[in-house]
Amino acid sequence: MNTRGLTLRALLFAGFALGMVLLGAWQLFGRGPLPIQTDLLAMLPVTERHPLAEAAVERLAHANGDRMVLVVVDADDAKAKDAARALGKALTATNAFSSVIAELPDFDLNQFIAPYLPYRFSLLSDADRANLAHPQYNASQTLARRLNEPFLAGVGTRVQDDPFGWLQRWMDQQPWSRSPLVPEDDLLTAHRDDLTYVMVIANLRGSSYDDGVQRVALEALDRAWHGVERDYQGVQLLRTGAVFYAAAARAGAERDVHVVGLASTLGIALLLLWTFRSPRPLLVAFLSTAIGVVSALAVTLLVFGQIHLLTLVFGAALLGEAVDYSIQYLCARAYAGTGWQPQRGARQVRPALLLALGTSLLGYALLGLVPFPALRQMACFAMVGMTVACLSVFWLLPALAASPSTRALTPALITISWAWQRRVARLAQGRTGAALFVLVIALAIPGWLRLGHDDDIRLLVTPPAALTQQEARIRDITGIGNVSQFYLVTGDTPEQTLQREEALEQRLQALVAQQQLDGWTGVASMVPSAERQHDNQSALAPLFAPGAALDATLQQAGIKASIAEAYLAGWPGRVLKIDDWLSMPLSLPFRYLWMSQSEHGYASIVLPQGQNDADILRSATNGLQDTHLVDKPASVSALFGRYREYASLWLLAALLLVGAVFAWRYGRSAVRVMVPPLLGIGLTMATFGYLGEPLTLFHWMALMLVLGVGANYAVFLREGEPHTAHLPGASYASVLLSAVTALLSFGLLGLSTMPALQHVGITLLLGIGITALFAPASLSASETYS
Amino acid sequence: MRALIAALLCLLAGSLHAQDADLLKHVLDELATHARVRADFVQSRENPALVQPQVSKGQLVFVTGHGMLWQVTQPYRETLALTGARTARIDEQGQLQVLRNGDRGVAQVTQMLQSMLSGQPDEALRQFDVQTRGNAAHWTLRFTPRQERMSRVLRAIELSGDTFLQSIQVEMQSGEITDIAFSGTRDAGALSPIESRALGMP
Repeated sequence: MNTRGLTLRALLFAGFALGMVLLGAWQLFGRGPLPIQTDLLAMLPVTERHPLAEAAVERLAHANGDRMVLVVVDADDAKAKDAARALGKALTATNAFSSVIAELPDFDLNQFIAPYLPYRFSLLSDADRANLAHPQYNASQTLARRLNEPFLAGVGTRVQDDPFGWLQRWMDQQPWSRSPLVPEDDLLTAHRDDLTYVMVIANLRGSSYDDGVQRVALEALDRAWHGVERDYQGVQLLRTGAVFYAAAARAGAERDVHVVGLASTLGIALLLLWTFRSPRPLLVAFLSTAIGVVSALAVTLLVFGQIHLLTLVFGAALLGEAVDYSIQYLCARAYAGTGWQPQRGARQVRPALLLALGTSLLGYALLGLVPFPALRQMACFAMVGMTVACLSVFWLLPALAASPSTRALTPALITISWAWQRRVARLAQGRTGAALFVLVIALAIPGWLRLGHDDDIRLLVTPPAALTQQEARIRDITGIGNVSQFYLVTGDTPEQTLQREEALEQRLQALVAQQQLDGWTGVASMVPSAERQHDNQSALAPLFAPGAALDATLQQAGIKASIAEAYLAGWPGRVLKIDDWLSMPLSLPFRYLWMSQSEHGYASIVLPQGQNDADILRSATNGLQDTHLVDKPASVSALFGRYREYASLWLLAALLLVGAVFAWRYGRSAVRVMVPPLLGIGLTMATFGYLGEPLTLFHWMALMLVLGVGANYAVFLREGEPHTAHLPGASYASVLLSAVTALLSFGLLGLSTMPALQHVGITLLLGIGITALFAPASLSASETYS
Repeated sequence: MRALIAALLCLLAGSLHAQDADLLKHVLDELATHARVRADFVQSRENPALVQPQVSKGQLVFVTGHGMLWQVTQPYRETLALTGARTARIDEQGQLQVLRNGDRGVAQVTQMLQSMLSGQPDEALRQFDVQTRGNAAHWTLRFTPRQERMSRVLRAIELSGDTFLQSIQVEMQSGEITDIAFSGTRDAGALSPIESRALGMP
């Protein structure tokens, strides 16, 4: 191809790169809020078989999601309350929230009760229903007891509405009657351990995961609380809400991106400058890498709609691998000296680069098979990034680096490389080589035997301890907080769902009786099934039958005739339907527990309280239809475990695949070529064994990458060696250069705040390091000394 | 009951005027000498829904730190154990049947009163203003809700007595008035096993 063709192709590629930049920019900035996902939940894989279970997990997470729950604490009751009032006012004044609830609006107890009156004959407490079924049920005694209750009778339902107290006793069971928070001085207050806790709720103007909303709300809270703290010294603030977790995750990931991205860019730049002794190769290499990363970003956004922070951090580390391709090309240029022909150079490195790209893609494709959204994104990101970076070497770089290199590679690098290469190669030959290999393996075996494993969900989700502690305290005091274990009851109709929930509640009641459970919150206790309500009416019916003379009973007890008459006229009333309940203001805090019709039917969420043991909780669902305990963290951990086991098999499969590719290209020498990556993987695992570091799914993922990268080095070395025969050590020098850039970027991942990324980073650091050091062993004696 | 009032007044003392505090201290000293008290009661309740007042009679046992037993003998027989936020009924076999347990909301006022009368008055004191009247020989304490919300339901609770607590009056905004008169207040002496068990005593 002539120069014109070269330029034309480069221009076409530049056009493609520009297109990618525009596509990426449009997706990032042109479509409303930044499509960067900070929701930790979004990273977790789908684990639940029932499609509604995942929806329920999300719903629970967001029930407390788009608001801040704040609790002001102080030993001095009045000070805590004044501070909470001041905080409420200050937050309202910031205008950053759609509403702030500190002082309660004025309301009348009767407003709560009145909506229930039409349904009063359909709602009975369990105890009343059981008593009414008794043949000797004595209505007049129930009435007398109610009228003569000690101290007072008239709080709650009024005597004229509920003379027997049936509705009252049902209402006493309702979840709002059990809240530890009590309105005091118009504030929601709890007292515990001589401390006063006052709750303030601030509703956000949008999603907790919206960058803008997050920033504005957190700044507003900081400002408001700063003022309150100054005026009321010593008061404490507890806070919880998804917005705090999202902000912490964002801050951590931003820090990671900055540290990994900046440090590796700077490190790689210095290394390349030192090696090539000219700024041009540096710029060319960075341009190639940048096009790769930008394309990866654009395509990932196109495929997934948004990009997770984890992917971004990983992408920052990917720089180190994507730059390898241009390094190989630039090294070839430097070695060629004045005889450099860009086209021939590209042809010369092509087999090595394609082989390397192939093994890398293989590794990342396996990563993409894991059903974790975050890992899939990373795989997509990596595959696109690597492919584009590689293509840029063939199509763009020949035009950009057309003139021959004026400066040779730093001689020091080649000298060091050659010295190490010779040493390793000598030891790796013949019997010495075999004996040493056996010795190394023997040393590694005790390490392998010590390997343990860890599948904790905290690998992926590590909220700051300070936040989880505050949340636990708030949940303890107010009953408000996130729950990760719950029951999901599903059905085809609301009635069927409620009946199933009632069956579950019977079991839960038994657990409460055995003191294995404190209680639960579920819709069926607030809206009994129609069947249950008809049972309630049937239990009351004999009393209201014409011959039963309930009128006389009421009047004999001293109830005015007109009132008795009005009460009897209310019979039998109506059955409370789910829609009636949903329209009552009192249901507002509990509506999220009910999932209305979807294509999968209806579902109800039941939250158990006071028991964390999943086995005990699960035992309550035995034999119940369409009733499941959902335990998201446990499911995710189980999935980690399962895929960790699969990953070890995949690694084996990948080794065989790569081995097959090598056998096709190198014939019998393939065994030798496989030695460096095998040692890299084996010794890394042995090191973890000796260090007592349990292996996680993420270690295995990283080992897969070690295989991909390690195989690259063996390939670069073998393919490069014939072309650099005039300059011993040059081929290995370019491999070392690749390895150091990879270590600079992946190794920095070891500093990540995210355990998963940290594990990947450390594994790659060890694996790539070891592989690169052993890479010369892949050359036979004839190849090293030819 | 006296010990209860003693504890109650102790806590109140700090927030009262000096002369009220003197009176209270005197009343406390008088009342604080007994930890277990038995008294007969007559509770009379007027309610707009009723033609004539409801009257019940029985015996009250109060034990400091444990709560009280409300034993109705007329017009029906029933024993209720009021301990903290829990109300339980004791049946003929001496078995406890929990009627309410730690619930709040609409039952809040009942419980507040119960907790105050069962020796844990701090919650009540946060919610009421207290006025004292009279002298050591004949005193009255009037509790009025501090909160608008509660004062819509409850007008006032009045305790009065001399050397003993003599009466409790609860006035509701609905027009319901409950009047409890005590007589024959005396040392409780030993409690029956059922009584001890109902109050959660060893």
